[in-house]
Amino acid sequence: MARESFDKEIQFLRLLVLTSGAYNRQQYAERLGISVHTFDKTIKYLKEVVGAVGQKLPEPQGKELTEMLRFDYYESADPLLLFLFRAKSLKESESRRLSLLLASLQEKPMTAAELLDACCEAMPPELALPDEKTIRGDLKYLEEVGVIGKRPGGRPYRYAVRDELASELTDEELVELYDFVDVMANTQVPSVQGYLLRDNLKKALVGRGLARAFADPFLYKYHYYSRILDEAHLHAVHHAIAHRRKLSFLYLSPKKKTRYASKNTNPLFEKETAGVAQTVVPLRVVFDHQYGRCYLIAHDSRMGMMKFRMEGLTELEEGEAVPEEAFLRMAKSAEEKLERSWVTDTGRTATVRARFYKPEGAARDFVKERVLLQGQWGEIVEEDDSSFVYEIAVSGMSEIKPWLRSFGSSCEVLEPARLRREFIEEWKELAEYYESVREDF
Amino acid sequence: MNLFEKIFNYQVISRLEESGTIAVTAKEAFEDGTRRKLEALLEAESGPDLRDILIEKARSRERHVYHPLLRPLRRLLMNGQGLRISYRLKNGTVNEDQSGFPCKLEYSMVKREWYLLWYHTRRHALMATKLANISSVEEKAMPAPVAEKLRQKVAGLLESRKRQAVVEVVPAYNEELSRILYAFSCFEKEVSYDEAADVYRIRLTYQADESEFVLSKIRFLGLRVRVKEGRYLLRRMAEASSKALARYGQDGAEPLPETAADQDIPG
Repeated sequence: MARESFDKEIQFLRLLVLTSGAYNRQQYAERLGISVHTFDKTIKYLKEVVGAVGQKLPEPQGKELTEMLRFDYYESADPLLLFLFRAKSLKESESRRLSLLLASLQEKPMTAAELLDACCEAMPPELALPDEKTIRGDLKYLEEVGVIGKRPGGRPYRYAVRDELASELTDEELVELYDFVDVMANTQVPSVQGYLLRDNLKKALVGRGLARAFADPFLYKYHYYSRILDEAHLHAVHHAIAHRRKLSFLYLSPKKKTRYASKNTNPLFEKETAGVAQTVVPLRVVFDHQYGRCYLIAHDSRMGMMKFRMEGLTELEEGEAVPEEAFLRMAKSAEEKLERSWVTDTGRTATVRARFYKPEGAARDFVKERVLLQGQWGEIVEEDDSSFVYEIAVSGMSEIKPWLRSFGSSCEVLEPARLRREFIEEWKELAEYYESVREDF
Repeated sequence: MNLFEKIFNYQVISRLEESGTIAVTAKEAFEDGTRRKLEALLEAESGPDLRDILIEKARSRERHVYHPLLRPLRRLLMNGQGLRISYRLKNGTVNEDQSGFPCKLEYSMVKREWYLLWYHTRRHALMATKLANISSVEEKAMPAPVAEKLRQKVAGLLESRKRQAVVEVVPAYNEELSRILYAFSCFEKEVSYDEAADVYRIRLTYQADESEFVLSKIRFLGLRVRVKEGRYLLRRMAEASSKALARYGQDGAEPLPETAADQDIPG
């Protein structure tokens, strides 16, 4: 497990990206709970990473980071935030060594002893020369992540770069693979591993003089591109779940003004909690397509099932194991509770009925199309020439409400009566505001 | 594999680039089709599948992630040539053998649908045609200078279709700022903050044909936000609210005559 989790950088980038230029340095620093000096230092560091990764960014050196991270749909399909995953800090000597090893192996398969020589020869004089043990450690690491492999044959082992993907595919196949990875990384979750692979395939294409092949033929519309920041913790959470281990973390509620907040708010049962140290049994992760955000679903011995916004997790640490049987029981219970959640709401289950009106004079019924597309497990139970009734049993109404409201006057909530009343009140308030500014349009 | 592996480190990457080395990690994720094809190359690699623990909610129903026309169309785009295309219209009629210039393949994350963006040379119009509605498409030779000219024309068209609007976060809901900003994070946007008044304003930039989607987002957020600038959005929100009240039979509100019903994201 990596100790480095980039909590600070993730919070930092999320705030920069979401608020895109709203605050000055002082205000940013306040909200992040850090000094202006630390803010500047982090900006400098992140800029360095962005520059080194060489992403397609407008004049990185001259522009502010916020400017660089600005989303421009038609400009680029490259995930700008991906560079975070390249930010792991390494000692200068280590990064030199790893690159030297790979560059040497790229030429021909070599033994550890040969690699040691090659490395010592090419190491810049100001850096310490590696010993054999260090080189063997590096090789073991590179083998583990699948970048190199041992050649068949006995000792001493010869290592070779595993570049089959780049070397054994025809140009055509490589382009197809690149496309496939691009589409999958962009349309499915999780995405980061796909994006990293895509970057590498891109380099392979450039290496073969096929640069024009990836002149970004694909665009992805309405993409929550900041979602990949939530993936930073996904691996650690997955590891803990797979090994049935508890997770400890400091949870910073995204609702608080300051992200690095004090730790003394009372957690509420099945509610998002604020700024508290937690030790829980992680069970599942929910991805919310409405916002492009992740939630951790977990079990707490006192509180029962709890939900945490992934972005609020910091200082993640794996703890003791829980018995398999207990884990399975908790996971099953959580899945049952979430079965009828629009997203993560596990309130009392109610049946919501709403009448949707067909668009007048339109070539096709796009209202119905959208209800069928997004209405999850709800069903159309009645239909006539001008409208249809949609019905869904849902646990808690808070999360389905925005979706129903997004249809505007094409949707009339019929039941429950309370929800209907709420809609009337909200539309009254909205009507009042828009009526008051009528002269403006 | 951990996403923060040393091998992804930016210094390592940039050094490898200098030496022309590519390090492809074999444990990165693949999907069915490619996996089958690449199995021979990848031997028996198996990594943890993060999707085992993932529950996706509020996801649009997916029709096809990988449409069969993607491959030929992307080759067409790569070659920089023109095209001849036949496609079905919304009303069912078919437009045969139209000439044009392909621009991009666009996937809508909301509709979970692929579109071909292309320029219709005779009509001088930018088109978005669902791949599902294309009955045939083939390459048609086009001289490079003509293609370049069309490329510029399309860029100009896209620029001219840009619209802007300002949405204000109602201060009582500032606590939900993160949620609100997330909801708008799929648009090009600029946020400003008036510290004295504690007010956040979001300036959105979008294509004219995306207005319906912007509106659905604004209605989605309900009382949390208000449109401050943008005549079209203001008018449509006024219509939607009075029409909605009329649906609920509320006094004083009359259905507006002869205005479009709340259009949804147009295809």
